[in-house]
Amino acid sequence: MNWSNVILILTRELRDQARDRRTIFMIAVLPILLYPLVIYPLLGMSMQFLEKKASRVLIAGASGLMGREDLPPLLDPEDSSRFDVALFADAGQDRLLDVTPFSDEPTRLSQPAKDVSEQVRELVRDGKYDGAVVLPVDLAEKLAEFRRAIEAEETAPRVEVKPEIVYSTANEKSQIAFARLYPVLNRWAQRIGETNLEAAGIPADAARPLDVGAADVAGETRFKGAAIWSKVLPIVLLLWAMTGAFYPAIDLCAGEKERGTLETLLSSPAERTEIVLGKLLTIMVFSIATAGLNLLSMGMTGWLLLSRMPNLGTPPIESIAWLTLALIPVAALYSALCLALAAFAKSTKEGQYYLMPLLLISMPLVLIPMTPAAELNLGSALIPVTGIVLLLRNLLEGAYWESLRYVPVVGLVTVACCVASIRWAVEQFNSEAVLFRESERLDLGLWLKNVFRNRQPTPTASAAVVCAISILVLKVFIELAASRSSAAFTFRNFAVQTILLQVAVILGPALILAFSLTTSPIETLRLRLPLRLSHLMAVPAAMLLAVLLHPGIGAMRVAIMRLYPISEDMGVQLERVQALFSSAPLWQALALIALAPAICEELAFRGFVLSGFRHLGRKWRAILFSAVFFGLAHGLLQQSINAIIVGIVIGYICVQTGSIWPGMFFHLVNNSIGVLIARMTPEMQEQYPILQTLFGATGESGVIYTWPVVLVTGLLAAAILAWFSLMPVSKSAEELQREEIARLRDAGPEIWE
Amino acid sequence: MSRVRDRVGFLDRLGKGWKSPVRLFLSVQVSQATQDRTAIAMIHARELTKHYNDLKRGKFVAVGGIDFDAREGQIYGLLGPNGAGKTTTLRILSTVLRPTSGSVTVNGYDVVAQPSMVRRQIGFMSANTAVYDRMTAWEMVEYFGRLHGIPAEQLRERMERLFDRLQMNDIRDLLGAKMSTGMKQKVSIARAIVHDPPVMVFDEATAGLDVLVARALLDAVAELRDHGKCVVFSTHIMREAERLCDRIAVMHRGRILTEGTLDDLRNNHGEDDLEELFYQLISESEACYQRELVAGMDRQAGAGEGG
Repeated sequence: MNWSNVILILTRELRDQARDRRTIFMIAVLPILLYPLVIYPLLGMSMQFLEKKASRVLIAGASGLMGREDLPPLLDPEDSSRFDVALFADAGQDRLLDVTPFSDEPTRLSQPAKDVSEQVRELVRDGKYDGAVVLPVDLAEKLAEFRRAIEAEETAPRVEVKPEIVYSTANEKSQIAFARLYPVLNRWAQRIGETNLEAAGIPADAARPLDVGAADVAGETRFKGAAIWSKVLPIVLLLWAMTGAFYPAIDLCAGEKERGTLETLLSSPAERTEIVLGKLLTIMVFSIATAGLNLLSMGMTGWLLLSRMPNLGTPPIESIAWLTLALIPVAALYSALCLALAAFAKSTKEGQYYLMPLLLISMPLVLIPMTPAAELNLGSALIPVTGIVLLLRNLLEGAYWESLRYVPVVGLVTVACCVASIRWAVEQFNSEAVLFRESERLDLGLWLKNVFRNRQPTPTASAAVVCAISILVLKVFIELAASRSSAAFTFRNFAVQTILLQVAVILGPALILAFSLTTSPIETLRLRLPLRLSHLMAVPAAMLLAVLLHPGIGAMRVAIMRLYPISEDMGVQLERVQALFSSAPLWQALALIALAPAICEELAFRGFVLSGFRHLGRKWRAILFSAVFFGLAHGLLQQSINAIIVGIVIGYICVQTGSIWPGMFFHLVNNSIGVLIARMTPEMQEQYPILQTLFGATGESGVIYTWPVVLVTGLLAAAILAWFSLMPVSKSAEELQREEIARLRDAGPEIWE
Repeated sequence: MSRVRDRVGFLDRLGKGWKSPVRLFLSVQVSQATQDRTAIAMIHARELTKHYNDLKRGKFVAVGGIDFDAREGQIYGLLGPNGAGKTTTLRILSTVLRPTSGSVTVNGYDVVAQPSMVRRQIGFMSANTAVYDRMTAWEMVEYFGRLHGIPAEQLRERMERLFDRLQMNDIRDLLGAKMSTGMKQKVSIARAIVHDPPVMVFDEATAGLDVLVARALLDAVAELRDHGKCVVFSTHIMREAERLCDRIAVMHRGRILTEGTLDDLRNNHGEDDLEELFYQLISESEACYQRELVAGMDRQAGAGEGG
């Protein structure tokens, strides 16, 4: 790779974009104008609508209180459309409640027979009033009775009747009315209490001997109001970094295809990697500029606005430094993603369609860390984007030391994602199907016919993706249906569900696609019996490997559980399932947990899916992709990670031997051991001392092996894997081609000498 | 030599599944290479094949196993109607497309194995290689010169000469978006030859040009040949081919129907007028193709009835 070419392409693209007036407007001018012009008036407007508008409130039964000197007034004696001013904490708030006495309500007369309370409820439900207060008719009388009892120093009966606020949570205005009414009535009740005390000759303060104070220490640490900023700023940063990357990316890739300059560039000696990196850096510059300018403009507007809101506070000055620092990896990640997507699009129009899916995938990753429960730990730091947002949030809240520990992890994950995206983009630039995609008429029938006509002995990589995704989607539906069904939680029902899942959801699509999309289902599913000696040996070798790897896999499961602890509800549910299986006959449990998955999952994932991915031309990529889909089919995150690792091992065995059988037996043995260990009891351990050497104490996450066992078996397993690696591998046409091209490239032009 | 034998041995060991472009080429070429190295032409294509997958037509053969050689100081014309496979062939030469099988070498470099070296040997210009809208003529040519790694001083000198010779000094600072088609074409030529490549590829370069500009372009192409370049020139205009080309290959439906110098073609087919000759060849080939198509369909129908 030649860096001077990368810089050359970068400067050209930057100059090109800078000469485009619209780009400059979108990136530089718009954000500067946007916030002051739009947000400021908008905010002002919404304040006017929400804050200032008075709630329409109905009051029933207030006439009973009129003219009673012994009770503090509820309504203003001068103006019956207002509550008494003394009931409000701040002056002027009485104007926010517009009171209509029920006696003035016109509809009252149309339904004289109905109960008052019912009529009031109906009026609020219909939205004629935002809220209502219903006072029982005998309330004043009851209160007076109570007072008399106190004055006479008798034990007073508690007032049973109570005033009621009628409101509806379905209506936001009504909720506001409730929030305004509640303190008013509360204060009125309190004042009645105070007058009662006075009547009994006790000072009014007796009921409230002290006031509770509140002190906010955030102000002292310069992080006053930081909580809100630490949530808002990362989102703003991510969204603008993405938007800022997206549009230039489309122009630089799909746009160039459309304008016909891409072929000019591709026939120049610049390498594809150089072109991609040059364009990536350009996009990054725009992403950073857009996010930076938006934050700056928003910050300025916000600063002016917030000087009027004392309880929010301005973001601390360090936050600017952290945001700037975080901007670089965020921009790099989104630039690489957008570039790959834009390279895939054949026109700018198609490119625009990809914004929404990208946004939809990003949103949960950004929003999950916003929940109060989310915190930065090794597990969350390993999730792309989420890790960055959480790290940023912690830094903005001032938890430096806590956060800095995770910087390497978050950095590593982000770099890995960037590298993967860049490689994807380079591949797009190498793929002529993508570069010269012509727009063809969409004709489903024709397309299906075409797919059928071009069938090969084994499926294509796209067919593998279709198979894996249909399995995942079907699985979601089946599980949703099962969770809604009211079938009892018995072993029988569970068995039916498991078999249904394995056969209909996992094996079904693989078989249907193998018979419809390939000319040789036998070859696709690798069903040929292992006839060569080394392949025959592979079956017992794989079974032995499963036994030897089980301690290592178990240790990993424990580590994963520590990293991403299972929620309590989930743990209880898993235990119930476990108990169900332990109570069933052994052969049934083995058939369900070991045999069925060994057959169905292997045929689907190591059969169809892996065969398809072999056409990608890279052995390890095929193994990894099939393992990831295998993992995704395992529901729980913790199980998925474990399954991915097991999937890689089985995939490797499958590729090395070219047969499904050794992997199937590996799967069978691996799952069987799990079932058997779950049935081990302390009594059995006492009876057979060997079990005590193998397994340590029964821990929280089930039985685990002792460390020496893990170590020794791990070494032996490595030896068996080494034996597998010596096997002659039958390669796909794409793999052969790639190898030969690489060899010829290394040979260079001296081939002619 | 032993190196070549080693490679062939290795390639033979690779198994039967895949037809290696290089192996195909080597099997033809090894004996010649031992006799005379200079016998390898500047552009050397053997059994070059390109298939596309087309929804309607299924596997569509754009180029169906063609052989040709083009040498230094020669203009090699690819003559054929639209859809004959000319553009696909030349795109394979410029390495933006990869052949399905067969091989091409350009100045000894293989298009599949050493694409970036091949691109350095070639100046490629086609109706599809557009000019950047937001770049001036000078910037555009300079950009590609620098991508070729020409030192700044030398590039400047060469560009001054190019701009003089192609009479582009008045559009030096004009943005691509404001140029006429003729101006753009000039910029494209300058862009394609700024690195002084031994091979030039022009794919229907005169399409859409007026007589004056087309003529200037043809003159420039002839001049390049006189400077010892190997030029591949595709067109569907007889007059251009007649005026320019030293050798002509007539292509139709992905195959070369006939190939040779203009005199060879006239003598072999007994027809003096190139246009007439072209028309006869193409219609014969088309008729033959249609017959085969019908026969194929009959066979299929027959098999259907029989089975």
